[in-house]
Amino acid sequence: MNEMIVETTNLTKCYGAQKSVEALNIHVRRGRIYGLLGRNGAGKTTTMKMLLGLTKATAGEAKIFGKPIGTSEREILPHVGSLIESPGFYPNLTGTENLKIFAELRRIKKKDAIQNALELVGLPYRDKKLYAQYSLGMKQRLAIALAVMHNPDLLILDEPINGLDPIGIAEVRAFIRELCDAQGKTILISSHILPEIALLADDIGIIDKGRLLEEESLAALEEKNGKYIRFLVSDAAKAAQVLLQTFKTQNFKVENNHTLRLLDTTLPVAAINRCFVENGIDVSDAHVFEDTLEDYFKKVTGGVGIA
Amino acid sequence: MLRLIKCEFWKLKRKRFVQLVVAAAFLFPIPLTYLCMHWPTIQAHCSTQAEVFDMMWQSVLGYGIQLLLPCILGIVAALLFFSERDNDTFKSLRTVPVSSTALVLAKVAMLFLFSTIFCVASTLVSVGCGLVAFEVQGIGYKLWMSIKMGVYITAGTLPLVAIVVFFSKSYIFSILLCVFYSVLNDVGTFVMGALPKAIVYLLPVPLTTLWGATDMQQHMAIGDADDLRAFAGLVPSEATVILILTGMAVISVAIMALLYKRRGE
Repeated sequence: MNEMIVETTNLTKCYGAQKSVEALNIHVRRGRIYGLLGRNGAGKTTTMKMLLGLTKATAGEAKIFGKPIGTSEREILPHVGSLIESPGFYPNLTGTENLKIFAELRRIKKKDAIQNALELVGLPYRDKKLYAQYSLGMKQRLAIALAVMHNPDLLILDEPINGLDPIGIAEVRAFIRELCDAQGKTILISSHILPEIALLADDIGIIDKGRLLEEESLAALEEKNGKYIRFLVSDAAKAAQVLLQTFKTQNFKVENNHTLRLLDTTLPVAAINRCFVENGIDVSDAHVFEDTLEDYFKKVTGGVGIA
Repeated sequence: MLRLIKCEFWKLKRKRFVQLVVAAAFLFPIPLTYLCMHWPTIQAHCSTQAEVFDMMWQSVLGYGIQLLLPCILGIVAALLFFSERDNDTFKSLRTVPVSSTALVLAKVAMLFLFSTIFCVASTLVSVGCGLVAFEVQGIGYKLWMSIKMGVYITAGTLPLVAIVVFFSKSYIFSILLCVFYSVLNDVGTFVMGALPKAIVYLLPVPLTTLWGATDMQQHMAIGDADDLRAFAGLVPSEATVILILTGMAVISVAIMALLYKRRGE
């Protein structure tokens, strides 16, 4: 399951002197949802455009299904579904008619492919309403239907919940999760809405000013950012022994000679503190930390919040 | 390619200009029929009603296909080529994947189809009017000639389409450009005796007029047979016409594909 479906090596895109994406190395594993998280203008869309061959990389390489996109576009793209920026369709046609055009171009043989895709996103099949009369949420749903209609192995979705109402967001989130869990699709999703990524992604890449600052599984990030008690002590190894023997817990991490992170926050801090002192361990600080992913994002990007 | 052309047709659903193109085919035959019926000079010039019809049809060819068609093609081209830009659908097509060249070729094929529809409709309307008011002969030749003329004029109009795609401005600007191109071609036809051969051959209307008039002279009565003798040294063969227009079309399509590819990024 660790097969890389998307892998970039020092992927770079420059517009004139400005570097939009710089030496980006992302790794999207098969059957996982990868959340590319970053502020507006961080380089998420440019990265996705390069992955789809919509714009050429200035330097570096992007491989999809193990093949370079630059030279294997015709082999790769039929197995990829995508939604980049705002949806684009023909306003004089209905949703079904719009999908029919792309189904024809993609040579989709399955007769109910359009109907299934529309049902998946909650849009009516053969409705008389023209695309020009669609609300922003309906347009976004149609774009997602287009992305999944040909049953691709990889989905690249750029801010797919833009314009959706809260119920729509929950629905889209549920079927993206379903596509991954039940059908084994690999999904690369970008967003500047951190809670969405936190709710959906298995792996997260944090991008800022075109550079990938961190790439971790959500579990690893949560471990880094959950609630914990940090002890600054004279001897962290000795303190660890005390926790093992006296409090019968292994749920802690020794960060260095003087720092110990206790992840089990149900234990009594005062009792632990007293026990450390009784065992000749000086405690200079005991502090409860509760970082959210947003706090972590701020810390990593060295700035304000994400939105 | 056929799939792409089919999709180009689907994209035009509910757009009125397809009907307008067919309606435009009625623009000249009906008033010209009326004119030929009631203009004594024409009646005096022709010995039979078949000759009157031949003159009327030549006028339809001159005004409708050579003057109006470049304008119609320019407008249709703007609608077809701006469709991806206006609706932001190019990225969706590129990820199918559809190449810029294939997309441009499909749209150019649409232009040829439209011009064929227009030319056949023009001639059929003329024949209809002719059957009512005059005597009609050589329908097959007239249909074939109008199709060929339409195809040649379309090929010769592709440089204008390339300019429209290059500027990629508003529809009004594109329409003005088309009208200018049509007028330029017509002025070129009127003064072709005074122009260098290279210029005459680069303008599709003078080029096809010279070849067409000579070809028609062999098949039917033409009104300006004496005038034609004055251009004897200038008349191109059909092979020359095809060669020049194919060259113009290929270069124009290559430029359009390049522009499309660049803008796709």
